[in-house]
Amino acid sequence: MIDVKGLNKSFGELHILKDINESVEQGEKVVIIGPSGSGKSTFLRCLNLMERPTSGDIYVDGENITAMSEKEVNLVRQKMGMVFQHFNLFPHLTIRKNITLSPVKLKLMTQKQADEKADELLEKVGLSDKADAYPNQLSGGQKQRIAIARALAMNPEVMLFDEPTSALDPEMVGEVLNLMKQLADDGMTMIVVTHEMGFAKEVASRVMFMDDGRIIEQAPPQEFFANPKNQRAKDFLSKVL
Amino acid sequence: MTDFLQKLHDTFIAGDRWTYLVDGLKNTLIITFFAVILGMVLGFIVAIIRSTHDKTGKLKILNLICRVYLTVIRGTPVVVQLLITYFVIFGSVRISKLLVAVLAFGLNSGAYVAEIVRSGIMSIDNGQFEAGSSLGLNYTKTMIFIIIPQAFKNVLPALANEFIVLLKETSVSGYIALPDLTKGGDIIRAATYEAFLPLFAVALIYLVMVMILTWLVSKLERRLAKNDRR
Repeated sequence: MIDVKGLNKSFGELHILKDINESVEQGEKVVIIGPSGSGKSTFLRCLNLMERPTSGDIYVDGENITAMSEKEVNLVRQKMGMVFQHFNLFPHLTIRKNITLSPVKLKLMTQKQADEKADELLEKVGLSDKADAYPNQLSGGQKQRIAIARALAMNPEVMLFDEPTSALDPEMVGEVLNLMKQLADDGMTMIVVTHEMGFAKEVASRVMFMDDGRIIEQAPPQEFFANPKNQRAKDFLSKVL
Repeated sequence: MTDFLQKLHDTFIAGDRWTYLVDGLKNTLIITFFAVILGMVLGFIVAIIRSTHDKTGKLKILNLICRVYLTVIRGTPVVVQLLITYFVIFGSVRISKLLVAVLAFGLNSGAYVAEIVRSGIMSIDNGQFEAGSSLGLNYTKTMIFIIIPQAFKNVLPALANEFIVLLKETSVSGYIALPDLTKGGDIIRAATYEAFLPLFAVALIYLVMVMILTWLVSKLERRLAKNDRR
């Protein structure tokens, strides 16, 4: 469903992503791990063109999104949900409005339909009582669950998670990971950048290890964690496990 | 005490001179009201063009025009702008002085509003733009529904200050012989040879208007701040 061909990304002189060729099939749960500065987040953010690649092509459902107009890209983004490290909820809107804003303003749903969808999603993420609260009244874990609900309101085909638990207090990490597991069990295609090795082991169908702008090893989690082949992956795992 | 009352009577009641103040106040309010609207509209447009250029690099020519506008308006005194508008731009046409004043003060205020609003837009975390576009909203929709409402709330105190300044700046309308509040007081001073009472009356009226405005804005601020409760 996502095919990346010859992807390069530089910020000025800094060459962040180096000639990445990769594809992700529907239903896969890909977890990307690696040291800081290895390009994990940048790679993820290129997939929905939050970052414009310096060169290379990205195909979503067979269409080359790097060649698209801004308008067409926005249509593609509708089916690619994204969850950010810092939640990025809209602080001036209630939780319900946060969830319904996009489907309503894009005329995909009426306000009534969107409200119903929001209620359904709030129940799914276990925050039905917060519909009329504002983001600042929520804890970090609750905010991230709402951010996930907001992305789901667009009925995405794939969900991109950019370090969704890195900004959370330790005791709130679990609630967010549980929700993500639930999503994975529902069959959602997911690409997750994270430092949560437990989550990678349990949920991933494939673990990607990135270092210095390249994907240098990938394997199913059992295999990867038990027997990493690459020396840098071994070093990394010995530090984090 | 009776002396003072007599003086009040002589200054304001005799010859119905109080009507200078009332008519002047009316003109001051009309100019301020429409200049605020013009300044707001202009300011928001300029601010959006400028910050769109800053963020995306588009709208180069419009941005250049806006920068010239800001430089000229902020680099010259409002009195000079008013005089030029009246005697040069509309020098050869018969046009209402009120309209000239609204245009001159509105154009002037727009420049200041633009920079205030632009600073508000630039202060919004880039994550808000990203969240908007990750949901498939285009730049315009993200601006209208996500960025501007937050920016507006952040800059409300600065905007209120700009309007208070504008209200008081209209007191130079007398330069084009427009009988505003200040001019009204001055006419009474000239007619009665009494400076204290008419000028203090004028000052008091401005002060009360500013206080009312401040009170209204703080009410609005409190209403907009409700989502900041923790």
